[in-house]
Amino acid sequence: MLSALTLYRRLIKIQIQSQLEYRASFLFDLAASIFYFSFWFLSIALIFQKFDNLGGWTLPEVAFLYGMVEMSFGTMDLIFSGFDPQSFGQQVRLGTFDQILLRPVNISLQIFGSQFTLRRLGRIIQGIVIFGMALTWLDIDWSLVKVIYLPIIFLSLVCFFGGLFIIGSTLTFWTIQPIEVVNIFTYGGSEMISYPMHIYQRWMRQFFTYIIPAIFLNYYPALYFLNKTDPLNLPPIAAFLSPVVGIGTLFLAFQFWKIGIRHYQSTGT
Amino acid sequence: MKMTMEDEKEQPAIRVRNLQKYFKVFKHHRGFWGALRNLISREYQIIRAVDGIHFDIRPGELVGYLGPNGAGKSTTIKMLSGLLVPSGGELYVSGRIPWKQRREHVARIGTVFGQRTTLWWDLPVVESLNLLKYIYKIEDRTFQKNLSEFKEILDLEPFLDIPVRSLSLGQRMRADLSAALLHNPPVVFLDEPTIGLDVVAKERIRQFIQHINVERKTTIILTTHDVSDVARLCKRVMIIDHGHLIYDGLLEILQDRFGDDRELVVDFAEVYTDYSIEDARISQADDLRITYQFHRNEVTASQLINRLSSKFRIRDLSVREPEIEATIRRIYEEGLLEPDTEK
Repeated sequence: MLSALTLYRRLIKIQIQSQLEYRASFLFDLAASIFYFSFWFLSIALIFQKFDNLGGWTLPEVAFLYGMVEMSFGTMDLIFSGFDPQSFGQQVRLGTFDQILLRPVNISLQIFGSQFTLRRLGRIIQGIVIFGMALTWLDIDWSLVKVIYLPIIFLSLVCFFGGLFIIGSTLTFWTIQPIEVVNIFTYGGSEMISYPMHIYQRWMRQFFTYIIPAIFLNYYPALYFLNKTDPLNLPPIAAFLSPVVGIGTLFLAFQFWKIGIRHYQSTGT
Repeated sequence: MKMTMEDEKEQPAIRVRNLQKYFKVFKHHRGFWGALRNLISREYQIIRAVDGIHFDIRPGELVGYLGPNGAGKSTTIKMLSGLLVPSGGELYVSGRIPWKQRREHVARIGTVFGQRTTLWWDLPVVESLNLLKYIYKIEDRTFQKNLSEFKEILDLEPFLDIPVRSLSLGQRMRADLSAALLHNPPVVFLDEPTIGLDVVAKERIRQFIQHINVERKTTIILTTHDVSDVARLCKRVMIIDHGHLIYDGLLEILQDRFGDDRELVVDFAEVYTDYSIEDARISQADDLRITYQFHRNEVTASQLINRLSSKFRIRDLSVREPEIEATIRRIYEEGLLEPDTEK
């Protein structure tokens, strides 16, 4: 276990070093991604100028949702870079995945260590700034449970999005090309849970409550933090299901991943 | 035709029995409507990439594995190295089932796939090797000893500090070979290790392969397009075609059975009216230079030379062997060997 961690650190160090070799390009990418995501938030802010609330939520309250998603998605995108279906599909296509199978080390560990896209820091930084602003604007009634629960929500979201990445990558064992549908869930999903989810149509809400229970990841915890009443009348436990959904998704994703590797070994490319 | 010498006491390094690998290939229809049909069509055909092969390889053997493109060579190597799970049959490498015991298996084999590198693209060669030292848990003493040995034979020193992406193909191959052998694997699979290299670079790599085989008694399977690699390194060859092993035996015997005629080129000292001699036919005549063709089973070169020198005055002569490459090509193209269906 300890040697696995050391190996992971060494692999990541290689990734970081080779990206910092091109310092100008790295800084430019970083700045570009901060701008890109900030403009996106700015456009939401502009809508608030016109309507001043969104389904009864103020701008700082939406910023709480949005900042949380941005921080966690960015962090996931950094840690799970190797599982990004785009770059993983490349590995399957070019046959470099074979090289991973030929080394006497855990396969997932090698994928985690195969890519570490530093420019994702841009999104994380932007998320931290917006979430920080939300916390200062809002008058949250802090308790010990909330202090402990806040990082748990963050980690659950990281697990959830990471699980989606792994599922997307696993599909490329069959399709070779990464498939667009996966982006609907990863990028589309992250955008969707950045808004208060009661504004969506009923069928959509129910889909994301009972089929893919993403509503519990961010929206219900936010209701709890902001002391808002639940317009959908679910039991109070709904606010605390975030880790169940996050860890559950990641767990299922790894099971699927194992099936994918078995499929790869029986067909090759 | 079977040349494997079965020694009951000695466990083979590689044991293969009735090994099979079938692939389902879904039918592809062309054009727009074809593409739509592909989406729903479940029509497929079964490709028998490896269709029931048998062989044993003893520890320390260096075997050439030949076959035309798509014959099943790399599918076999992929099964041996644990990348692919067989559809049927038995397969043991050093007593292990490659795909069932992946980590134990890959820790004790070495692989070079000529087309792609095992090394980290952006890392200097020496750092890649250091990382492999960690991954394979190679002891410091072994690592230093191997590194200095490889440095000497493969002349690694000049490019040790250069990132892999900037290496020439020959340098990269030398680095990859070193990487594959750092952990002293008893069994090594080399897939096209000389592909795309010039004569000098090829020779260096051949010397290295031979050195490893002789000094360390490493079992090596070498697949290659370049039959001169095999002629230079391997006594035993296996030939696969259409998923069947069509030959497994000594390279010499193959040459004896299927080699073209040998040639004797003679420069005569003076003009004669009739140059003909027994057991050889004249294939070319330019002034005083006559080329005879003869078959190795009918007459030896020295018998012919005796006959010639008793009849004529000769200035010079030379014997030309048929090229092994041509022999192998004839075997594929003319289907000279039938699949081995015994057992």
